[in-house]
Amino acid sequence: MSRTVALLLKGEVSSILKSLGARNLYKCYQCGTCTAACPLSEEVTASFRKAVKYAQLGLEEKIAADPAPWLCYACGECSEMCPKDAKPTEILAALRRYSIIKYDWTGFSKRFYLSKTFELMSIAILSILTALIVYLFKGPVITERVDLSAFAQPTVAIANIIVFGVLSLILLINIYRMYKFTTSQSSSSGKLPVSTYIAEFIKIIPYHFLTQRLMARCRDGKYYYTIHLLLFYGYAVIFVHHILRHMLLPLISPTLHLNEVASSIVGISAFVALILGSSLAIYGRIKKSTIIWEYSHPTDWVFITLLWLTSITGLLTDIFKYSGLPLPTYVTFTVHLMFVVPLLVLEVPFAKWSHLAYRPFALYFNRLNEIKQLRYKT
Amino acid sequence: MKPVVVVGGGIAGIQAALDLADQGVKVYLVEKSPSIGGRMAQLDKTFPTLDCSSCILTPKMVAVDRHENIELLTYAEVKEVVGEPGNFKVKILKKPRYVDVDKCTGCGQCVMKCPVKVPNEFNLGMDMRKAIYIPFPQAVPLKATIDPEHCLYFTKGVCRVCERFCPPKAINFNQKPEEIELNVAAIIVATGFSLDDARKRGEYGYGKYPNVYTNLEFERLLSSTGPTKGEIVRRSDGRHPKKIAFIQCVCSRDELTNKYCSAICCMASTKEAILAKEHLPDVECTIFFMDVRAFGKGYQEFFERAKQEFGVRFVRARPAKIEEDPKTRNLIVYYEDTETSRFTKEEFDMVVLAVALRPILPESLVKSGLIQPDNYGFADVPEMYIEPVRASKPGIFVIGVLQSPKDIPDSVIQAGAAAMRAAIYAISG
Ligand SMILES: Cc1cc2nc3c(=O)[nH]c(=O)nc-3n(C[C@H](O)[C@H](O)[C@H](O)COP(=O)(O)OP(=O)(O)OC[C@H]3O[C@@H](n4cnc5c(N)ncnc54)[C@H](O)[C@@H]3O)c2cc1C
Ligand code: SF4
Ligand code: SF4
Ligand code: SF4
Ligand code: SF4
Repeated sequence: MSRTVALLLKGEVSSILKSLGARNLYKCYQCGTCTAACPLSEEVTASFRKAVKYAQLGLEEKIAADPAPWLCYACGECSEMCPKDAKPTEILAALRRYSIIKYDWTGFSKRFYLSKTFELMSIAILSILTALIVYLFKGPVITERVDLSAFAQPTVAIANIIVFGVLSLILLINIYRMYKFTTSQSSSSGKLPVSTYIAEFIKIIPYHFLTQRLMARCRDGKYYYTIHLLLFYGYAVIFVHHILRHMLLPLISPTLHLNEVASSIVGISAFVALILGSSLAIYGRIKKSTIIWEYSHPTDWVFITLLWLTSITGLLTDIFKYSGLPLPTYVTFTVHLMFVVPLLVLEVPFAKWSHLAYRPFALYFNRLNEIKQLRYKT
Repeated sequence: MKPVVVVGGGIAGIQAALDLADQGVKVYLVEKSPSIGGRMAQLDKTFPTLDCSSCILTPKMVAVDRHENIELLTYAEVKEVVGEPGNFKVKILKKPRYVDVDKCTGCGQCVMKCPVKVPNEFNLGMDMRKAIYIPFPQAVPLKATIDPEHCLYFTKGVCRVCERFCPPKAINFNQKPEEIELNVAAIIVATGFSLDDARKRGEYGYGKYPNVYTNLEFERLLSSTGPTKGEIVRRSDGRHPKKIAFIQCVCSRDELTNKYCSAICCMASTKEAILAKEHLPDVECTIFFMDVRAFGKGYQEFFERAKQEFGVRFVRARPAKIEEDPKTRNLIVYYEDTETSRFTKEEFDMVVLAVALRPILPESLVKSGLIQPDNYGFADVPEMYIEPVRASKPGIFVIGVLQSPKDIPDSVIQAGAAAMRAAIYAISG
């Protein structure tokens, strides 16, 4: 049976999905076990079975409109129970990758996901470019003491603003496109008042963004959830710290400074959290220790490796800095930037890291659809 | 003319033996348990006609017993086979019943007096039998058998109560195993099936939640000779259920257990739901299915009848799991209705699992290479199209569920086909 279906329907979309990790797509016989097995079905209205059906049929619009893949946290319970060994966890992950491609208006994501060469080349080019810019625009290299601000200024500050601005814009446009997709297929044409949009936004986005609580519902999710929190908060702390220190405070007044000791403790512990989290994730992926980590797409490896390298070099920079070793500090800092820039520029709007926005927004859009359906039920 | 051995006394083996014997061929029918009848003897009524199962089966069993060309070897197993088509040497081991079958009248005095209770395999352990027992009222032969694993005389050297009460003095503790050697032209194997272990799909809670049953257990609940005398009552509290869920394809069409379709369970559950309605007119029956496989004559009509006439509800879903309410012992079934895409938790007070059929291959014939298991463990038939009942070795025939999942009509058809093939060897031998 499955082979005939595959032959009939194997359009471009389905073969892309297969290359994105939906290895056993056509094994599924639409029994609904996955939906009913999912601990999250208790909280959200979603049919994971239907998501798999859309994938089998290669229905591009339906896939892009379906928030279900983003509501799945890959705990793997459905894959364990799936009677056909279709590995719905992997299919849903592939659908997330596919949706990232669909949401991205630049077309860059698609190439990034579908070609390993393209992916590695973009990283290499960005890395080299970063090194070049640092080399060309670096400040004075002071060797009597460590003065990273002097070395990096004003390159870092300017680059900061450009990078953050452009990245945020791209991501925002992508989220808007996601919204358009999710409403395009909605069965009810009714409108909701703006107040509902705002109220639900306030209720859902900050809370789920900050806690990722749905993930904690997964049966064996605690370990995985801890790792995820380490990564999220490690990153968030560094991000906020960085903005405060290098963008906000200097903007307000050049004489304002963070307490050096407190600042160093915060920075180092955040890096340690990131290293710990990413090391455990890399170990898990190598060992394929749970269903979540059984399949790794090349982009997963790139993401976690970049994150790991970024954190290690970040920590080393701090260590050298606080040990008063000027040259090693400047060198590791440059290397650190060579990893950070590709990580942020490529992963946040175009690849895996965009899930930090898509996941809470999917919950939000899904909720809006639920409300609409309740209100305009005929 | 040479005799033929039939191994396995279910409906397939019985029919094959009768068809051969009626042609004048001498048949030895070897059955492992104390009585012939097989699984069909455990069924209440049969789809798609709702005929009483034992009303069809019992006359055939009696005919086997009376037939001058059939020698019935119950409580016996084939130990060894060597030879070639037309000339097989078969060694059979007849276990001692510790009852002289020529004297025993089947009066049941011994059974009444025996103090030892043992889970009753005929009722799938849902009630008790004695250490000396007659497996079921229509057993053929209708003779008592002592189970030495539980009899006090064999385990502790005491008791002998049955011996004292047996009117014709049929008890004989000194019986010894008996070896029989036969020279036969062909062998028909019909050793049938048992259900797979439903605990393999632990999420349904079989063996853990008392009100979850296998379909074979449910057949026994429906039967007037069953553990509840035909009352459908819950294991936990003896009350009649109000809502029964039937879950299809348990351990069938499943990569983790058995990939094949067990063929009969769609119809069996449809039948059981109808019978439940006949027993308890107010009961609600829901069948959770993925595809209804109603392939046989009159089967589609039977399915439609269940829906229209009996109001059986069919939901297209494979439930993911069952949880038990520890207080009421009711069962909460988790499923997605795939026609509405709704995730639902629904409470039932009884659940019946349609569990996969697993073949029982006689070890001695597998070991000597006369029967080969196929990919799924059923007996292989290398020439599917032109010799659909011939095993790997010519002169050996495999029929009934042993060969692939099938219903009674198909088992009977295969029995006829195998009887004809075996007769060719018998007559020319
Ligand atoms: C719950 C349920 C309901 C069903 N309802 C229906 C129905 O309504 N209608 C229908 O058509 N079909 C029904 N079936 C299917 C039906 O039971 C089978 O088609 C039929 O029993 C197959 O008969 P058989 O002779 O092949 O195997 P069996 O009935 O299993 O007989 C095999 C015999 O061989 C014996 N044996 C085993 N091993 C050995 C050995 N090594 N040596 C000697 N003897 C041995 C066994 O003791 C047994 O007596 C149902 C099945 C189930 C599970
Ligand atoms: S992915 Fe598996 S569990 Fe989900 S509907 Fe398909 S076969 Fe069923
Ligand atoms: S001797 Fe054995 S079989 Fe006979 S009555 Fe005692 S326990 Fe039962
Ligand atoms: S063994 Fe004796 S008492 Fe028991 S059934 Fe046979 S005749 Fe009756
Ligand atoms: S007969 Fe029906 S219930 Fe049984 S395995 Fe096949 S499809 Fe499933």
